[in-house]
Amino acid sequence: MSDIQFSRRDFLKLTAFGAAAVAGTRLVKEAQASSSSPSGEHQWAMVIDQSKCTGCNYCTLACKAHNDVAPENNWNVVTQTGEVGGHQVFIARPCMHCEHAPCVEVCMVGASYYRDDGIVMMDYDKCIGCRYCEAACPYQARVFNWEKFEGKNPTVPEWGAPEVERRPRGVPEKCSFCYHRIDRGLSLGLTPGVDRDATPACVNACPTKARLFGDLNDAESEVSKILKNHVSYRLRDDLATGTRVYYLPADPKEMDVEVES
Amino acid sequence: MIANLRAKFTSNTWTLWLVFLGLLLAIGLASGILIFWKGLGITNLTDLVPWGLWITIDLSSIALSAGAFSLCAAVYLIGLKRYEPVARTATFIGLIGYTMAMLSLMLDIGRPDRFWHAVVYWNTHSLLWEVTMCVCLYLTVLVLEAMPIIANFEWLKNRFPKLTAKMEHVHHYAPYLAIAGLCLSMLHQSSLGAVYGVLKARPFWYKPEMAVLFMFSAIVGGISLTIFASMLSARVTPRAKINDSLLERLAHFVGWALVPYLYFRAWDWLAMTYTYQPGRTEGLEVMTKGPLSFNFWVAEILLGAIVPMILLLKQSTRQNRFWRMAALAMVVGGVIAYRWDINLSGFLVVVSYLPGQPTVTYTSYFPSLVEIGAGLGVIAFGLTAFSLGVRYLKVVDHRYTSEAHETVKGEVPKTVLA
Repeated sequence: MSDIQFSRRDFLKLTAFGAAAVAGTRLVKEAQASSSSPSGEHQWAMVIDQSKCTGCNYCTLACKAHNDVAPENNWNVVTQTGEVGGHQVFIARPCMHCEHAPCVEVCMVGASYYRDDGIVMMDYDKCIGCRYCEAACPYQARVFNWEKFEGKNPTVPEWGAPEVERRPRGVPEKCSFCYHRIDRGLSLGLTPGVDRDATPACVNACPTKARLFGDLNDAESEVSKILKNHVSYRLRDDLATGTRVYYLPADPKEMDVEVES
Repeated sequence: MIANLRAKFTSNTWTLWLVFLGLLLAIGLASGILIFWKGLGITNLTDLVPWGLWITIDLSSIALSAGAFSLCAAVYLIGLKRYEPVARTATFIGLIGYTMAMLSLMLDIGRPDRFWHAVVYWNTHSLLWEVTMCVCLYLTVLVLEAMPIIANFEWLKNRFPKLTAKMEHVHHYAPYLAIAGLCLSMLHQSSLGAVYGVLKARPFWYKPEMAVLFMFSAIVGGISLTIFASMLSARVTPRAKINDSLLERLAHFVGWALVPYLYFRAWDWLAMTYTYQPGRTEGLEVMTKGPLSFNFWVAEILLGAIVPMILLLKQSTRQNRFWRMAALAMVVGGVIAYRWDINLSGFLVVVSYLPGQPTVTYTSYFPSLVEIGAGLGVIAFGLTAFSLGVRYLKVVDHRYTSEAHETVKGEVPKTVLA
């Protein structure tokens, strides 16, 4: 009897160690994978110039059409924040595509993830709809599909045509920097931020050119140059999320120039 | 004649009780079907308050199941053997509680058809991943621990005597299961608090003590529910047999455990008072002065901790069965109120992302009828399972002592009824 007892104990021990070893290796591997800083060839960023933004909401409408977003959902929200020198000042808020994104960190199934180029992506087929990401996002950038979006999209065709699949009921969705436009554009040899066909819809739609898009790895890109020469800030920088959306604060001088010209 | 009448009366109340539970279960089932069919759009949940009543039920049923791991550890690891029959009750309650948690989560997630993704796809950085893993493993431990209890079912015993003998044999591994249960429970009971505690976007939650407080309140609430449910069963049915002196000692422990719990709660609240961090001060005010203030001061602090602490530490009230039961029910209510308040006070305060000092706005939440209906269904499921357990599985039989198990020798299992 004691023989059986020993072997059973040994077996249990072995099993436990084996399971722990497998889990441990996997943990270490995953930790390494996600702690490494983004290494992609491109690092996309958006610059929004508050001196130029007039709060017309064209960006929101173009976004809704190109990404086929339901009327009650907003991936891009424009808010009036105050006045400078007699001019209204607005702020447009897409997804910030944080370098240390709280939504990616908390997602239990890894449905929110980083691309090499820094875009924070949603895998709508993986998501189970627990909404932990909504609780974690400091920018309220995520909207949940409480209902199924059925019927006509009122922004189509006036503001563009849908380029991505509609999301199902029961998953949260958010701005993707129009990754599909970037990817298709790059494959055609275009430059995102320069060529319209490779640039996010909101940037194209902006009538005052308040939005710029480009590659931070490219020193000659418009975003790199403007961030070098202008004062800029990021939203909730105190949280150290490392957002990829930069804002140029409203400058009354620039706003006056615009009016004069 | 009198005995006859009494038997008739008890069987009638049993039927009435079952009818009542059946009604609630039907409401729950109807609400559940409605939710799966129509989606979460028919709830009062919003993008600002994405977690509500169901998450409170989920958190509360996990917390109130903590009697299982605490008492199993006490019996099989610390060696307080005399509490073994109480640990048995607690284990059964734990199994029910975790099943209730699973049910409410199935209602709550947007894609219940993908629930299995939680096990298959891993993000090891997510607290919820860790909680999922622990809960799944611990549910397995609970099922194993409950095997000898389920083997008590007369029909099963007569029909499959070999199977029930095997199921009873699982009891030999109780100490190992207790170790696994202790580790897994310590991890996820505290991690459920940390789920909130790691969110820097929500200053009211973002603090290390969330994990500690969840853990503490779970142990206190879980043991309280075990004692309360045992005493209540013994009051309403002769099938439940309790050893009152055992339960009184356990209640005494709860009384003492409430002291450090209250101490931690007090510091948690005091330490937040003077931070003036946008969102944190407001979150605290929602709880202490705002819409949740009655819950906080009365349900959580006064009735949830201070009053039961006094009632359970004072010998005369502790020995009085009515006051002891009242005190334990208050502790259970306090833990549920704590989960509800913590979840909401973090969500009701919305911190802006706009430039400059973050400003704060408020939102509101009250569960819709369909949420309440489905929630009642989940609770009714728990009550039904426990009632059936008391009636058919001798779940509350504190005279019951199982065979010795610390010597793993493979003897023929035999049940000793004292």
